[in-house]
Formats: sequence, structure tokens, C-alpha cells
Amino acid sequence: MNPMIRKELRQRMRERRAWLLPSLYLLVLGAVVIVFYMTVTTRPGSLEIAVQGATLGQGIFLAVAYAQLSLLLLVAPVFSAGAVTIEKEQRTLAGLLTSLLGPADIWWGKLAAALLYQGLLLASGLPVLALTLAFGGIGPRELGIALASTAIVVAAVSAAGLYFSCFFRRSVHATSVTYAFIVALTVVPLVAHAVLASLVGRVAREPTWLPYAMAPNPFYALSIGLFGAAERAGPWVGSLAFFSVLFAAAAVFAVRNIARGGEQA
Amino acid sequence: MIDARDLVKRYGALRALDGLTLSVERGELVGLVGPNGAGKSTLIKILATLVHPDAGAAAIDGFDVVGASGRVRALVGYMPDVPGLYQDMRVRELLEFFADAFRLRGARRRAAVEGALARAGLADRADTFVEALSLGLKQRLFIAKTLLHAPRLLLLDEPATGLDPLARIELRRLLRALNGEGITMLISSHILADLEDICSRVTFIAAGRLAGESAAATPRSLTCEIELLGDSARALTLLRERADVRMVESAGARVAVEVTGGPEAAAALLRDLVAAGCAVVRFDPRGGLEERYRRAFGGAAMSPRP
Repeated sequence: MNPMIRKELRQRMRERRAWLLPSLYLLVLGAVVIVFYMTVTTRPGSLEIAVQGATLGQGIFLAVAYAQLSLLLLVAPVFSAGAVTIEKEQRTLAGLLTSLLGPADIWWGKLAAALLYQGLLLASGLPVLALTLAFGGIGPRELGIALASTAIVVAAVSAAGLYFSCFFRRSVHATSVTYAFIVALTVVPLVAHAVLASLVGRVAREPTWLPYAMAPNPFYALSIGLFGAAERAGPWVGSLAFFSVLFAAAAVFAVRNIARGGEQA
Repeated sequence: MIDARDLVKRYGALRALDGLTLSVERGELVGLVGPNGAGKSTLIKILATLVHPDAGAAAIDGFDVVGASGRVRALVGYMPDVPGLYQDMRVRELLEFFADAFRLRGARRRAAVEGALARAGLADRADTFVEALSLGLKQRLFIAKTLLHAPRLLLLDEPATGLDPLARIELRRLLRALNGEGITMLISSHILADLEDICSRVTFIAAGRLAGESAAATPRSLTCEIELLGDSARALTLLRERADVRMVESAGARVAVEVTGGPEAAAALLRDLVAAGCAVVRFDPRGGLEERYRRAFGGAAMSPRP
């Protein structure tokens, strides 16, 4: 086992947030389920909807899936963007760089530890998500798509955060830029899609390439996977491909940066 | 062991190293002194494979620090000026992590960790968190960690910074012992007395270059500042005739001499001056390295003490 992973996990699990964060995470997901259920079942004319268990199940499933992705996007920079900067701030990076650990070992140790912790959160939310199977309207396929889409998006964003951590000297800068990057990923494709749609809408039917403008949006990967994977697999695959390329590019640049990181050590 | 030639390193417009050449033989304990910004830390970082030179080349035991950095890291132990340790790890955990990072396995790993604990005097505190250790103990732990993989060359950047006098004495004893075991060392320090005490040679560096020749550190060499009343000609003649006096400089009634043979030779010199009828009003023997440093880097050799 890569010693970096063991070290990172040991240090991470000693932090107070090691137990605090999963507790808060499950509390929020639980609250989403309760609020959604109460809102739907207590509004006027809700009896008809309540009888339609499948509709209720789909609604709760989507609410939890989006809440889960939102929470993990909030958490990802905390674990990834500070991973290397903390070594610079504590003056421990030189010790790693002068050991026989290669830059790729250091990168993988940091990323794996961050992803394992986020995987723990994702897994802990699984029972809440799977609860909706009891209502009907949601099957293992939807569950798998939601988990796969969330995992790929979170892994890519974490890899980007780790790159920023290699690039900057201070955790506060790396974390701020990672959050800004996530906001840009969310907002820019929405704006671009809206502008392109308005342009092409005047001259012709919506072209088949237009949905791909939304591919970098983290929530689009989840939405298109759940709503239209069978009929519109292209945009879903395109979105996941975008995040896979983002992951690979962030990995390459981060490893290169670690290899040259001695001047910041 | 170290062969650095024409090293150049720039940080923007600043030339941290400007064609520096340095050679250190196996088994030597070499001191590196110079004012702040002289390029000492940059040189050590290059030799430790942390920083790549812009020009020139450096090799450790024949392995290029850029082209064969992995081989170099296996040979080198590096201690930075601010040695960072993971405060939230226990002493044993920290040593085990670095043993793994140097790919030590099985019995060799166990022996290295136990040996490091014993060397640092921390065997009974192996389960203590690093943050609970004193600065001196942390320094010892860092050195023990640096020695885990049995390096043949130690690169120490200001190792005595922040240590109290007792910890410094202990550090000097440890470094001498390690050198006695055959480990070559390059030590950067501003504490000249420490270097004079332990180094076999001291190299002066300024503005990224060697400041003159490397001078052999002779711990038994003292520079004596002598102030005479009246004519100093007789004293100068007597001083220049002595075999244990290497250098004589005079400015009016003040004379500076470098005498070999330690305090005994200085005492004999003073006795002979007085016996020869010279009116000595001040006789101030100092370590030779401090005086050479003052001469090399602009301190007035003959200036009175504050």
C-alpha cells in the first residue's frame, strides 16, 4: 500500500471533522427527505400524489441525488485543495520530495485519501438514497447512474482541487480557486447553452450538438443520466467524458507540478 | 562525494548562485558559511534534488542530481532550515512512515525504526505525539528520521537554529559521531563556533560564489588582537619571527596576529611579549574562523568591540 495513503487516512481520521462531517452529511440528507415528503404530502390536493408512490419516490430520489452531489461538491475542495498546500505550510513537503516517493506516489496518495473519504460519505448516503426504492418508480439502474455520475464528477473536481493545491502555496488560495472553478463549471455552461440556444433558435431547429454545451455542468451529468440516458446517451457520455478528461489533465499537471515543487518546499 | 561545477540558479532577476564550484571528499565534514542570501540554502537544495540548477552540474557520488535524482536521494539525508514534522503523528508512526517512504521492508524497516528511536533518545516516547516534544527533541527526531535510510551524505541547513546551548552541544557531539561513522557532511550555519568545533573544512560563500578559497578550519587557530602602548616595532619583529604565528597585521598601536597552537600558544605569546618589554594594554584572543569571516564579508578586522 502506498505509504502516503496510510498516512493521509490516519491523519484525516484523527481530525474532529472525521466524525462531524458524516454526521452533518446524513443529517442534511435526512432533512431533505423529510422536508420533501412533508411538502408534497401536506399541500392541498396531495392525497392524489401520495397515492402515486412512484411519483413520490422519484421526487425524493432526485432531491436526495442533487443534495448529495451539492454536498460533495462543497466538501471536495476541503479535502483536495488543502492536501499539498498543508505540506508547504507545515514545511513537510521537502521531506516527501527528498524521499524515494515519486511525484505520482505523492499525488495518488493525496487523491486516494480524499476520494476514499468522499466515497465514505457517498456510501453512507446510500441507505437514504435506496430508501426511495420502496416507493417504486426508481430501480437499481437509476441508482447506479446516480452513483456513477456523482462519483465521476466528484473525482474530477477533487483532481482539479489537488492541482490547485500543487500550484498555490497557501491553502486559502487553492481552496478559493477550487470553489470558483466549481461555480464556473456550473454557471458558464448554463449561460453558454442559453446564448447558443437563442442564436440557433432563430435560424433552425435545435441542433443535436447543442446539449453538449451543458456537458461541463456537474448537475447536467446527473440530470441527463437520470432523465434521458436511454434515449439521449450521447450527452450523458459526453458529460462523463468531459469530467474524465478533466481528471486526466488535472492529474498530469499536478504530478508535473509536484515534480518541480522543490522551490516551494 | 560532492562535485558541483559552475552552478547557476536564478530566481527572477536574482542570481542565487552565480557559477559556484564546490568539491567535498568522502568522509569530510565541511562547513558552509556566508551572509544571508549568499546562496547556501539554494546550493543545499540543489544537492538534495529539490531545486534544479539553471546551468552547471552537480553530482553526488557520481550520480547527477537532476538526471539520477532517485539514486541521489537514496544516498542523501537532507535537513532543511525549518525542519517540518507531522505534529499529529506519534513518534513511531512518523518514523515508520518515512521508513516506508524510503522503501525499507521487513526486518530492515524494524531495525531502522528502532535504531532511530534509540539514536534520538526517544525509545520511551515512541507513542508520544510529535507536537508534545520540545524543540530539541524534535530536532533529534528529525535527524533520526533523516538517518533512517542510512545516507552516506548529510546536507544540513542551519541545524542548530533555535536550539539552547545544551542541545547545541549535544548536536555537535552527534554530528561528530556520525562523521566518525564515515558519513560525509555539508553543514550550513551562522554559528561559527559550532562549525569551528566540528568541521574539517569551512567554505565561504557570498553572492552565489565561493568567496575566495576554502580555508581549512583549524580549531587550534586563534586570532589575537593586541593593543600596545608606544612603539609597536619591537613587538612586530618578535611576532614575525615566531613559527606559531601565521599572520601579522598592524594599524598604529594595534596588531592582529593569527596564532596556531590554541590558548597555550596565545599565552606563551603574551608572556614573550611582556618579557621582551612590550607594553601590552589589551590582549584579546578569538576563534580564527570568526575573524576570517569578518575579513571575508566586510567586518572590520581591527574594529574595537562594542
